[in-house]
Amino acid sequence: MIILDLLLMFLVAYLTGFLYYGLYRNITARFQRRYGPPVYQSFVDSIKFFTKEDAISHGWMFYLGPIIMMSGAVMTLFFIPLFNIGESFRGLSEYGNLFVVLYLLVLGPLGNALGVGAGGNPFGVMGVTRGLTRLFAMEMPFYIAVIAIMSLSQSADIATIASHQETYNAFAYPLLFIGALFSFIGMMGQSPFDVIGAPVEVYSGPASEFSGKFLALLMSQSAIFTFAKLVLMVHLFLGGADGFLELLTKTFILFLFVIAFGSMYGRFKTPQSVDFLLKVPSTIAVVGLILATWS
Amino acid sequence: MDLSIYGLTEIILSLKATNLANFFAMLVAFSFVIVTFLTKNYKLKKSFYALFLLLTASLFLIVYANDYLLFFIGWEIMSITTYFLLSFTLSKKTLHKYIIFAMASALSMFIAILILYSSNHSFLYADAHQSFKALGDIEEFIFIVLMLFTIFIKIGTIGFHYWLVDAYEESQNLFTPFFSAVLSKMGIYALIILLTQVVDITYPLAIIGVITSIIATFKAIQEDSIKRLLAYSSIAQLGYIVTVLGVYDGMGGALYHSLIHTVVKLLLFINIAGIIFVTGRSKFSELGGLLYKTPQSFVLLLIGIITLAGMPPLGGFSSKFMIYTSLMDAKYLLILSAIMFSSASAFLYIYKLIYGIYLGHPTNKKLESVKEVPISFLIPQYILAIVLIALGMFPALVVPYFNAILNELNLKTIEFSNYATLTTSFAEFNGLVIISAFGTIFVVLLLVFVNLKTKVKDVKNRFDVAYCGEEPDEATHLHYGYSMGKELQRVGFINTILKNSVKYFYDYIAKQTLNFSDILKKIYSGQLNINFNIAIIFAIILLWWSTK
Repeated sequence: MIILDLLLMFLVAYLTGFLYYGLYRNITARFQRRYGPPVYQSFVDSIKFFTKEDAISHGWMFYLGPIIMMSGAVMTLFFIPLFNIGESFRGLSEYGNLFVVLYLLVLGPLGNALGVGAGGNPFGVMGVTRGLTRLFAMEMPFYIAVIAIMSLSQSADIATIASHQETYNAFAYPLLFIGALFSFIGMMGQSPFDVIGAPVEVYSGPASEFSGKFLALLMSQSAIFTFAKLVLMVHLFLGGADGFLELLTKTFILFLFVIAFGSMYGRFKTPQSVDFLLKVPSTIAVVGLILATWS
Repeated sequence: MDLSIYGLTEIILSLKATNLANFFAMLVAFSFVIVTFLTKNYKLKKSFYALFLLLTASLFLIVYANDYLLFFIGWEIMSITTYFLLSFTLSKKTLHKYIIFAMASALSMFIAILILYSSNHSFLYADAHQSFKALGDIEEFIFIVLMLFTIFIKIGTIGFHYWLVDAYEESQNLFTPFFSAVLSKMGIYALIILLTQVVDITYPLAIIGVITSIIATFKAIQEDSIKRLLAYSSIAQLGYIVTVLGVYDGMGGALYHSLIHTVVKLLLFINIAGIIFVTGRSKFSELGGLLYKTPQSFVLLLIGIITLAGMPPLGGFSSKFMIYTSLMDAKYLLILSAIMFSSASAFLYIYKLIYGIYLGHPTNKKLESVKEVPISFLIPQYILAIVLIALGMFPALVVPYFNAILNELNLKTIEFSNYATLTTSFAEFNGLVIISAFGTIFVVLLLVFVNLKTKVKDVKNRFDVAYCGEEPDEATHLHYGYSMGKELQRVGFINTILKNSVKYFYDYIAKQTLNFSDILKKIYSGQLNINFNIAIIFAIILLWWSTK
């Protein structure tokens, strides 16, 4: 029974993730006065890549990178319940908690970093280095906000946190939400914190050496991971969801905001983004934490 | 033991095997056994073994002492045998640094113990709290400061770590694992004794711990030498333990993290020792690309770093989880944020550790003929890796033992339902489910992709990488990532942390001391007539004193 539940969760995340990815390409295109590809284009691309041959191999560790990354993304998904209520789509969330999820969020990227390192391409490692240098600064405001939310709702269980919001946390504690939102933009790989992949600028970041099936795997994990992160954010700050419609509406609004923000701003260099994230959003989050929990 | 037959009345010495002492003795014994696996690879003098055994014996004396006098004796033997053990490989300067700090630490402890003794005429732990209460305010303060000074030097808390990093780097590769895993734990043990038997210091300790862990983490990121990086990492990890000891209910987390840190540092230092043994290089900038030459070492180091990072599904997460939830329970929210920040920054040096050695490109042609490290390095690592995996699967495996310790110390025990679920008062998680879910997903994906895999060209030439349409050659700098973290120097306040060092402070003190001794030298020049005059003056002063 739980296996079926997990499979369904996977399927939902996979399809929704690719839908969002298609929408993302479309919406950014409109911001840049283009039409953009059809919504299903990325999905078709990923299916196509699965049937392609790999161009080159750097040994077994090189292959394990994307597989660990996919496992990390799927694990993150499984430990976040989709809805506040009901028995289905809860995944494995009762066996874990928010601390587990916070760590699972970085498990995948770190696993992939190993694969990239094994590939030996300096451009790939350049992306990884930038990502890791930026990572701790990026997590900081999010961690502060999550700690405050956990302390306020006296629980580390995501469904409990989601359903215990009389007014949404985003409105009850706006400073925490703003702080976390900056981190979230970075986690979603949007400008101004998108220096890891840095299209155009770096050759192509962590994905440099991967081709064929492994590129497809990276695309799929990105779609699933995006969905999981959106759901987590909705649960923490927007009161979670009771059904698919509510979930999709809330995640889409959040997603739209992130894309719009990303389209408007230029890209920070790595030290700049570390500096900014540690100064502005972290300060906002710390003030938010003190205001929210002072008693 | 009653010393009155020797004319020393009122001094009672005793040893006692408490559960806490047993736990730390177990860590010592385990580390000792693990380290002995390596001895056959190193040509060591007989005196080294003798001193090593003496050191281990002194550690047992420290943990089983039931009073501060025996504790001090053990501490002193430990410091001095360590000095002799280090003297085999250390440069004179580093050795001087070590012994000055060790002596300062031992002396301040001695003074602190005497202050405590002065009030109640007992060295026993059982009387320590009463003795402490009987002290005046100023004496209490001096006692705490001196005791913490001793402990912080041993742990290497930031500011007192000046001797530690150099000593780790230059010590015998066989000895470094023991050094990091066990000797630093004696500082933790002393701190636990201080907190549970004498006086409870809470918030200041947590702040000191968290500052230590953040600064040490950033310092670690900058290091090019592997052993120095791990030394800083050790300081940072002990910072977590100090932090959580500053929380009322933090003992469980502290014990758990002590255990994990012992195991993981043994694993990492032994792994590094193996790599240095086969390559003769100890810097990231001289290594690289050893993955397919030494695959077993790579996988073992991988297990080590996953634990060090505190990632689920291995044991490191269990102890981090305990630490986080204790801080959460105590409402130390800002400290919790800071410690999670430090933990996230650690990913950078942790990746550097594995990348700099095993991944990327070999920086030298000689590295291409390296063979797997000897089996005697691998066996202890396999044992340690199994311990870590077991603690990941069954995080509550050690909880019954910890509960016995906590009961003995009259602290709140950890809830226990089954071995797979670690329950704290704030949250719980099931390690077995996490590890098996991850394993299942991983294996399913692996099977699918092994079956899908088409025939593909394995790269023969290591320069065969996508490189913007150009062809890299021997002169191209491809082992890019060993200098990762350099970008952080461009971030204002992080650079402030990195640039400043306690070196300047201690150099200043050294300079002043030298100047002062120059002045003394002028008075006490060694000429017989002047010495005689000084002796006469001294005798006159004494006579005057006695007649008064």
